[in-house]
Amino acid sequence: MTRFLNALRDGVGFDILLVGAALLFLLALAGAPLVYNVLMSFQQVDMFTLGVLFRPFVGFDNYVAVVQQPEFWMVTRNTLVFVFGSMTGQFVLGFALALFFAQDFPGASTIRGLFLVSWVMPGLVVGAIWSWILAGDFGVLNVILKSLGIIQNNVFWKSDPNFSIWAVIIANIWLGLAFNMLLLSVGLAAIPRDLYEAAELDGANAFQRFWTITLPMMRSTIGAVLSLGLIGTLQQFDLFPALTEGGPANTSNVAGFWSWQLSFQLYDFAKGATVSVMMFLLVLFASVIYVRSTRHEVRG
Amino acid sequence: MTRTYTPWFLLVVALALAAVYLFPLYWMYVTSLKTGSEIFANPPTFWPREPNPDIYPETWARRTMPVFLLNSVIIAGGITAITVILGTGCAYVLARYRNVWIDIGLFCVLMLQVLPASVMVTPLFVGFNQIGLLNYPRTAVVLAAAAKAMPFFVVLVRATFMSVPRELEEAALVDGNSRVGAFFSIVLPLARNGILVCAILTFMSAFGEYIYSKSIIQSPSLQPASVGLSGFLGPNSTDWSSIMAYSAIYVTPILLVFVILQRRIVSGLTSGALK
Amino acid sequence: MTAQIELIDIDKHYGNFHALKNVSLTIDKGSFVALVGPSGCGKSTLLRSIAGLETITSGRMTIAGKEMTGVPPRHRDIAMVFQSYALYPHMTVEENLTYSLRLHGVSKADARKKAAEVAATTGLSELLSRYPRQLSGGQRQRVAMGRAIIRNPKAFLFDEPLSNLDAALRVQMRKEIRALHDRLGATSVYVTHDQIEAMTMADWVVVMRAGIIEQQGRPLDLYDKPVNRFVAGFIGSPAMNFLPGRIADSGNSVVLDGGGSLPLARNVEPGRTVIAGVRPEHLQVRGDDANFHLEVGVVESTGSATYLTSRDGNFQLVQSERTQLASGDRVGLGIDPTRVHLFDPETGIAL
Repeated sequence: MTRFLNALRDGVGFDILLVGAALLFLLALAGAPLVYNVLMSFQQVDMFTLGVLFRPFVGFDNYVAVVQQPEFWMVTRNTLVFVFGSMTGQFVLGFALALFFAQDFPGASTIRGLFLVSWVMPGLVVGAIWSWILAGDFGVLNVILKSLGIIQNNVFWKSDPNFSIWAVIIANIWLGLAFNMLLLSVGLAAIPRDLYEAAELDGANAFQRFWTITLPMMRSTIGAVLSLGLIGTLQQFDLFPALTEGGPANTSNVAGFWSWQLSFQLYDFAKGATVSVMMFLLVLFASVIYVRSTRHEVRG
Repeated sequence: MTRTYTPWFLLVVALALAAVYLFPLYWMYVTSLKTGSEIFANPPTFWPREPNPDIYPETWARRTMPVFLLNSVIIAGGITAITVILGTGCAYVLARYRNVWIDIGLFCVLMLQVLPASVMVTPLFVGFNQIGLLNYPRTAVVLAAAAKAMPFFVVLVRATFMSVPRELEEAALVDGNSRVGAFFSIVLPLARNGILVCAILTFMSAFGEYIYSKSIIQSPSLQPASVGLSGFLGPNSTDWSSIMAYSAIYVTPILLVFVILQRRIVSGLTSGALK
Repeated sequence: MTAQIELIDIDKHYGNFHALKNVSLTIDKGSFVALVGPSGCGKSTLLRSIAGLETITSGRMTIAGKEMTGVPPRHRDIAMVFQSYALYPHMTVEENLTYSLRLHGVSKADARKKAAEVAATTGLSELLSRYPRQLSGGQRQRVAMGRAIIRNPKAFLFDEPLSNLDAALRVQMRKEIRALHDRLGATSVYVTHDQIEAMTMADWVVVMRAGIIEQQGRPLDLYDKPVNRFVAGFIGSPAMNFLPGRIADSGNSVVLDGGGSLPLARNVEPGRTVIAGVRPEHLQVRGDDANFHLEVGVVESTGSATYLTSRDGNFQLVQSERTQLASGDRVGLGIDPTRVHLFDPETGIAL
């Protein structure tokens, strides 16, 4: 017992206690549910069997049923459109802003910091504000676009099947843009000034400096930002209930929200679990990219 | 244009960009101050003709905001407490050593950081139902959301601990302190600011937590403000002035904290997120 | 002399890396021992093992006769000065100095009195209420020293304490540390990669490489009688020159592969291939009776001495007088036979 207490005070026991408590907690509330999720996707889960662990085993029936749902391919397509649309918008605009704020002018870092308010706001509130801005009849975005001559008639962003997913994407770009910009700014700031000076002496113009110095030097940052963007986009949930609820007719539904709808609106927990297992596989793919891109930093 | 004017020109452009970017926030406040008819005016007014804050007390009372906000504070406080208490120690150990086990631990944490809440909510709900935790819905949400918040916290705080030189801790050991003592008297005080910033970030994001609360908490008297907002928000909502007033009341405290601590939050985030 | 620190068959593994290989070392009470070697040789690991900051894989150690294997650092009663000084940035100089006293339950008044005494001996009296970030490099170094001496420990451990100082301050601190050691009658273990520090400060030098002790002894003994080629090359600056050759049939000279020969003061087995070692400062420029010749490449003069490097870059010599030699000159060199070292070409062991 004393030896145990001594190890706790002076040895690795202290470390094991610290890391063990957190890992046990995470194992119980993240690891175990993940496994349970996979288990449920192979079971028949309904209101009667909700409270028991050993439910009838149905093999791949849930997977077959999910794929045969009429909206399955629509949701898959939407998920991909949402992910790539959001990431492209966040990254391109974020990079452009990062380059702009890398210029030397008074207040650059303070103003850049203000952009981050979008990131700390509750997703549901962001959704609410954008829902109002994007409203078809009285939304301010339509007014601005019309006065700029970009559109002639009101676009019903949230209720037009052609635009509904883009309504969520626009809000999501706004939400994630600042974080992208911030991380890219850090990467830009880490490039030594004298590299640019040397390139300038060698006769490279601004465009060439960007292609030959900035981009190559930013490779690991860009990798990390893109994979974090992918993860963040796959995690996005709050905007959907606030903006479109996946509608109209699932034209703006994505895997995460669909899974939740199946479980909590249709009480079909087996299908909800099945969709989220599919979604998890997608996330796993994203995280492999993420871990690869941060690997050298992990090792230091 | 001569070179001396360039910085000021850039400043103007930067302010214009910030104005465009922050327009949605402005629009939230402006809408909440407009009267019913002015909201639907065409073309819309960009400054309310007669700013009218009456909607605030009305929304505050009619939407039982004190109850919702109190629940938000309780839930966010619980999430932050668990995350900070468990996450700090974990981050410290992950920062202090470098070996295969630490790499595995770090990999697990990164993997968990990646899991979307929408993937976890179904098994958590069913699991909580089985062990009877749904009878304590706020506790259930705190546990679920703390597990969601912790990986990000660990990654950020780990970066803070990595900036505390290990030799300081060793000096304390040689000076006669135990591991526990050195951790509390040397390492923690030096990492305090970083931990505090990360705790505030955790609190802020927990304050907006939605999916777990929506799925797990049925009783309106226990729901947080996010669920309260969703109650009158949907694709066909029209009650914009009270939605915006509700939103404004909800986010203004967060925005104030952010603006006050902006510099620290930004530096805390940047040091951690890329490492 | 009694042993203050005794290390017996210490082994240390980091995963597959064997950092310390069966190291045994006795450190006498009151002695100043320097552990020296190239980076990665295990000298810091050995020091940290004495402090208890590293757990050794196998072996035993005692401090002041007490078994210390597996004992945590705080029960070892040793003080350590770190390379980075490791001053607690959130504490004032006084709090830094008295931290260990407070941990050991010394009363506040006593701790303050002790801090004032130590501050007086280390020249910190004016700085007690400052924070480490407000101090210069030399002042920080003194605080680190003060923090060590305030406790009157069983041994002082120094981990390259001078490497962050500029050259002039380093020379000064060398003397101060040694003077402090003598005044306190302390036992000190001093890790450095700088053989000059080791030679000038220590009365016992331990040369390490790749986790083993290559040689230990009094500084001048290491200089005069290195047991192998590594120690010979490591101790002395500029480094010893190594010339391959073969023992002449007479057995009392070395025929150099590069031409010329070196006289020997003793007889060695004729025909044997050897590496001859000659220190740059032991070579004299001679005319007709030169032992061998080489072409001058670079001439560097510091005013007090002239450093000559051969055209092929492999050979150095030091002249204390000014010289007219210039790049491209051919110079004849001679040496006192007693100062020629011989090493086995395969094992590197001194013959």
